[in-house]
Amino acid sequence: MNYKRFIYYQGTIGMASSMIFPFYILLIRNVGDSYAQFGWAYGLFALTAALCYPLIGKYADRVGDKTFLAVYSWGMAILLLFFPLASEVWHVYILQVLMGVLGAVQKNSEKTVLARYVTKEIAGSQIGRYHFWTSVAAAIAVIATGYLVDFLTIASIFYIASAVFAWSGLQLAKVKAAEA
Amino acid sequence: MKAVWIALLYVCLFGLSIYVYSTQLNGPDADLHQRLLPVEIKTVKAGTSKNELKEIVLDAGKDGDVLSIAGMQHSQGGQTMYPNGIMIDMKPYNQIIEVDEDAKTVTVQSGARWADIQEAINPYGLSLKVSQSQNIFTVGGSLSVNAHGLDIRNGGLSDTVLSMRLMNADGEILQLSTSENSELFSAVLGGYGLFGIILDVTLQLTDDELYETQTASMPYSAYPSYFKQQVQNDPDAKMHLARISIAPDSFMEDMYAITYKSAKDQNLLPEHQKLKTENLVAVPKFFLGLSRINDAGKDNFWKAQKTYTKQINGNLVSRNNVMRSDSEFMEYDNSRKTEILQEYFVPVDQFEDYIPALKTVLEANPDFNLLNVTIRYVEQNDNAVLSYAKEDMFSLVLLINQGTDAESIQATQDVVRQMIDVTLAHNGSYYLPYFGYPTKAQMKEAYPRTEEFFDLKDRFDPEHRFMNLFYEEYRP
Repeated sequence: MNYKRFIYYQGTIGMASSMIFPFYILLIRNVGDSYAQFGWAYGLFALTAALCYPLIGKYADRVGDKTFLAVYSWGMAILLLFFPLASEVWHVYILQVLMGVLGAVQKNSEKTVLARYVTKEIAGSQIGRYHFWTSVAAAIAVIATGYLVDFLTIASIFYIASAVFAWSGLQLAKVKAAEA
Repeated sequence: MKAVWIALLYVCLFGLSIYVYSTQLNGPDADLHQRLLPVEIKTVKAGTSKNELKEIVLDAGKDGDVLSIAGMQHSQGGQTMYPNGIMIDMKPYNQIIEVDEDAKTVTVQSGARWADIQEAINPYGLSLKVSQSQNIFTVGGSLSVNAHGLDIRNGGLSDTVLSMRLMNADGEILQLSTSENSELFSAVLGGYGLFGIILDVTLQLTDDELYETQTASMPYSAYPSYFKQQVQNDPDAKMHLARISIAPDSFMEDMYAITYKSAKDQNLLPEHQKLKTENLVAVPKFFLGLSRINDAGKDNFWKAQKTYTKQINGNLVSRNNVMRSDSEFMEYDNSRKTEILQEYFVPVDQFEDYIPALKTVLEANPDFNLLNVTIRYVEQNDNAVLSYAKEDMFSLVLLINQGTDAESIQATQDVVRQMIDVTLAHNGSYYLPYFGYPTKAQMKEAYPRTEEFFDLKDRFDPEHRFMNLFYEEYRP
């Protein structure tokens, strides 16, 4: 995977995830309604991620970044299809746990790819550029989604984000083919 | 190759998810819809049996608490609430007690939604005679606002009520009908929950029937004669609605009408009998969203509606499905704005003069954000003390987008009062379940029996066990 493609990929999934995260709270509001439930939903996410990192780290070098990123893309694409169906708080808890696992896969892979491709001497400017482009993509997505929610239902946001994740998964597969 | 399989699997899951979502989880939003009128209430209690409801009523009597009664809470003038009162949530009291296939009647608990009844009677090939255009409301709520619908042959909702039982402030159960406790019966219909709790209701049903959709487009001035000749005088025409344009290009000029007429071949009915669910929410929601923003959006919305209406001409649809209008696309979530309704009634013969007069008011207030006007027909009806159909009338339902700050409320109030004045000047009336914009004087003019209504309330519930903000606002 070349570095430019990686930025492109991270930009795409950044767009998809920032489409849902700020608005995800609107869904939780419809499903649960206490602050404690909010706390648990996000706490479970962070806790599962924490438990997963050592394991992911252990396998990251053996399995390869691309495979992990593909797991993340397709995992998110499928997981998001279940969000509109959540109607009880425990549904949300389960989804959060799975999001925690996938989130850890993504965070770890993001850093390992950067570590492998960045040139030590110009790491600062390279990582700066990386963050610039991925943040721009995230910003555009979050603003556009704000308008979308007004027009569409919350559920459709999840479906759109899911499709974007699936597309990012397909892009990854292309990379593999080109390289082979 | 692997990617192709993953993609295929994903597409299947995507379709499955949308299918499950649209068929099973598309119920109405149970949130409170009282954005303009935040009221602190003491608590919400729900009863699932007569005894539980009786206990709530008797306890309130002992403790000196005030009760308000709530169904889906889509009334907009505080009819379901009272400050520091106890709100009785009737939604769990929702059993379908009996469907009598031979007598064509259904008996239901008042918290049942029209959709629940449709599901219960559709297998018998039966249909409601009259219901609200949307089926998300509870039976008790619809009776308490004396609702009407698309049907043009069966009178008002109150005409289809064979009998009902009411729990009064002493916890006693009274049988109400046109022959039993008839005075109370006509006060409870359109009584906004001020006389007690409607427990169960027996409704007269009719046969489900296959309709052919007939659509037409015309200027407003041609509409009354179109209605009389093509709809009223055609015995096959059973249900009807129309819309008048709010788009700047054709503002208050252009109209389209949709009439449902008995289809020639009723043998095709079984093919159309399956109850439809609301599927394409995103498309109308998108156009409505655009029309909230600006004039171009309104023009597009109107064009889209007209194109769609032309397309459905000739479509076959069952009576039960006509009575399941979509509503979810209208749900609107905005912290600073909300959407309100107004409904005005004008005699059929006044329509042609009335529309230009209403247009003048609206054009003088360009900031008033009117999103839709639906027109239906109501027959003269005086079953209820507070009856709005003083003669055969057209009803106009206006959907309005407005801000929730004090200034916006004032601005809307000014326009609403002007519109009601114009309506009253054309021998019209207005619908009571909405926000308390109209003045007391306007209510009295629209409803000559206003004083009698409130006197009945004081006579049947002297301790004011059942109260709401509507009483507070409009008691003369």
